[in-house]
Amino acid sequence: MKFILNYIRKETWSPYVAGTLLGLVGIAAVWASNSLLGASGAFENIAGLIGKALAPALFDNMYFNFIMPPGITYGVMLVVGLFFGGLVGAASSGTLKWGKKDSANSDEQWKRIFGPQTWKRWLVAFVGAIVLEYAAGIAGGCTSGLAISGGMLLAPSAFLFIMGMFASGIVTALIIYRERY
Amino acid sequence: MTNMIIALVLGVFFGFALNKAGLTKYNKIVNVFRFTDMAVLQFMMTALVVSMSGLYILRALNLVTFPNVPGTYIVGNIVGGLIFGVGMALSGYCPGTCAAGAGEGKMDYIVPGLLGFLTGAVIYGLTYDQVFPAISAIANYGNIVIPDAWNVDPFLFITLFTLISFLLFYLIDRAGWQRKAQ
Repeated sequence: MKFILNYIRKETWSPYVAGTLLGLVGIAAVWASNSLLGASGAFENIAGLIGKALAPALFDNMYFNFIMPPGITYGVMLVVGLFFGGLVGAASSGTLKWGKKDSANSDEQWKRIFGPQTWKRWLVAFVGAIVLEYAAGIAGGCTSGLAISGGMLLAPSAFLFIMGMFASGIVTALIIYRERY
Repeated sequence: MTNMIIALVLGVFFGFALNKAGLTKYNKIVNVFRFTDMAVLQFMMTALVVSMSGLYILRALNLVTFPNVPGTYIVGNIVGGLIFGVGMALSGYCPGTCAAGAGEGKMDYIVPGLLGFLTGAVIYGLTYDQVFPAISAIANYGNIVIPDAWNVDPFLFITLFTLISFLLFYLIDRAGWQRKAQ
């Protein structure tokens, strides 16, 4: 019992233990609600919600009316859960960043490569996030909605997506890190 | 309503797993592409081995039915993956890890992260008609799964996938396939 509690308090688990937990969550989603995990779709639902409130004419299109109708969907609830899951996880190891000085630019390795300026981190992260969401739309899902959820059902799309993601991730890292790769 | 509560609870465990695997950190995500820390790959492949075996066993026992399988349209899946990898290496996020990292209180996940995903969602939704129907029409095989498409027994495929995963884990953990960071 003590061993389990101490393990839960650790900041980083073995990827095999954490991966087993994610696998069980993936099974539970199908078993309990006949649904798949996913995160990128939730941002579409919320974007539609905000867009329809602010600029109803612009967002009155095929996509926001029929493909990804706005609303508080299953996916949105998952993402809300993700938020609290991250919070509980960090709280259990005493690594919460709320109100901490380094929370605006949270990674040491990033600062070594790109420099300590917060605006730089925010700019690159913002552009990166746009790229991620757009790419997930084209591919039909993100790492959770396509790679894990599709992969566990043995959909070929998941494995094509994973191959593409690793290929370009490696090339991009090579370009960014150059001699420090 | 019940489904919404289930989603919330599953999301908490999902976010907890992402946090404990370290995937809510920029360095964990980018270092898998540098082969200096393979946790992302180990985490994903473990999750896949567990979930695919579990689901196909449960289905064989008639305890679950599968939801809609994500569609296979070869060019779109690959091109989407290629663009996605660029975003991952730049930001150190996935949509899911960004939400979990935001919960940890990291401002660079809360502000540029969540806003960036919402902005990307708006851009995608407004350009959907010009992009998606065309790219998803190329080599579209519909909602297939590998056992049906290749006419192989799913458990044979899952066994092979599991063995390949274990071999990779062995190579990473024991045979020095993980590079030392400079």
